[in-house]
Amino acid sequence: MRAVECAACGNQVLCEKFSVAHTSVQWTADAAVVCAEFRDRVGPGGTTARVRTCGALRASIDRAVEDGSLTVSALEPGVPGSGTREAVDA
Amino acid sequence: MTALDDEVRIIETGRPPTRFARGWHCLGLAEDFKDGRPHEIEAFGTKLVVFRGEDDGQLHVLNAYCPHMGGNLAQGTVKGDAVACPFHDWRWSGDGRCAGIPYARRVPPRARTRAWISLERNRQLFVWNDPEGNPPPPEVTVPEIAGIHGPDADQWSDWTWKTLRVEGANCREIVDNVVDMAHFYYVHYAFPEYFKNVFDGHVATQYMESSPRGDMELGTLSSGRLRSDASYFGPSYMIDHLYSDVGGGAEMEIVLINCHYPIDADSFLLQYGAIVRRLPGMTDEQAAEAARLTAEGATVGFEQDVEIWQNKTRIDNPLLTEEDGPVYQLRRWYEQFYVDVADVKDEMTRRFEFEIDTQRANTAWRAEVEENLARRAAETGTGA
Repeated sequence: MRAVECAACGNQVLCEKFSVAHTSVQWTADAAVVCAEFRDRVGPGGTTARVRTCGALRASIDRAVEDGSLTVSALEPGVPGSGTREAVDA
Repeated sequence: MTALDDEVRIIETGRPPTRFARGWHCLGLAEDFKDGRPHEIEAFGTKLVVFRGEDDGQLHVLNAYCPHMGGNLAQGTVKGDAVACPFHDWRWSGDGRCAGIPYARRVPPRARTRAWISLERNRQLFVWNDPEGNPPPPEVTVPEIAGIHGPDADQWSDWTWKTLRVEGANCREIVDNVVDMAHFYYVHYAFPEYFKNVFDGHVATQYMESSPRGDMELGTLSSGRLRSDASYFGPSYMIDHLYSDVGGGAEMEIVLINCHYPIDADSFLLQYGAIVRRLPGMTDEQAAEAARLTAEGATVGFEQDVEIWQNKTRIDNPLLTEEDGPVYQLRRWYEQFYVDVADVKDEMTRRFEFEIDTQRANTAWRAEVEENLARRAAETGTGA
């Protein structure tokens, strides 16, 4: 997974793309605290669990794909970040 | 020979957990426990008794076995606000205290059984299970379905409620469904055209938009496009908001509950039920009928799920493709309910999002359904 920074609030997440349509996002801190869009939407002490996505982050991920800093790559079992238990446990 | 064996994928079956998940578990429709009799529930590796106090009108949940000589209170009778053991008539209150022993001069000082913390919500009854014995934190409580209680409650139909006992499978099998995009085609007969998961805190969500397979009939669930917005709140209770395209720009709003409780490590009771929000001009009867048809439609898929689970092996190392959902991350989320609160790690609860590219899968499936329909038409044409 590659780090992607949100252009709107500077929050950093880990991303992986198997194709243009596929997106995997691992947040590395409490989403309700670090993300400006979520913070506004759910308010203090609120939960982001039922918010589908952050629009600003999504735009930043799309831009990272366009400028080549986030590459679209195939799932490779055993490679960190891919869909294996080893990757998840790492 | 050895070289070949080295390349074979070996299934790791692992073992079911030795404890039961911490969380709220739905036991069924509250109304079904309010007939004045004690009810037995096989759950969490033991038996529970559910009864309603005659005076307080409250539902109570106790260990079913009487601490005196082990009689089964579920075989007993309700007397006042207590349940009486059929063996020696010991009386047990909803708070677990012994309320009386008619033949004894005094009640032993340590006469106390386990009272389970319970909650009535969404016209259902829930119990709190926690191997550490702590009370439920308010932030993980069961969410209320909007409008189901209060002055506008009649906008919702009655529940159609169904249960399926699953033997020979741990309840992790049904939780895996949250991420399993492809099985919605094979087992639940839909084209899952959009599919996204979000795990965040104690909630695991599946957003799905689907169309019915043209070659299968599932009542309400196959009448048109369906939006499904389904979340597990904790380890076992899923609220699925379904919006069904009923034509003319109208949508029918359905709530489908998908929940379970463990009977033991290797069996569980799957429960599901539906309510429908009345559309303008819909009578109570029509709404109830729509709910019934929705539950019937879901039955086809759930019964096929059960058939798969009862014949499959437990697998800790599934082999995945890009079109499979994030099974490992889901199980990492699910793990939070099986460890002590102090051992819940950030990685289990931190937000994770996964959106599947469904295009290739749906192209293949559409072609398959077209073939099925063409073959069927040809068979009908030749009178076969």
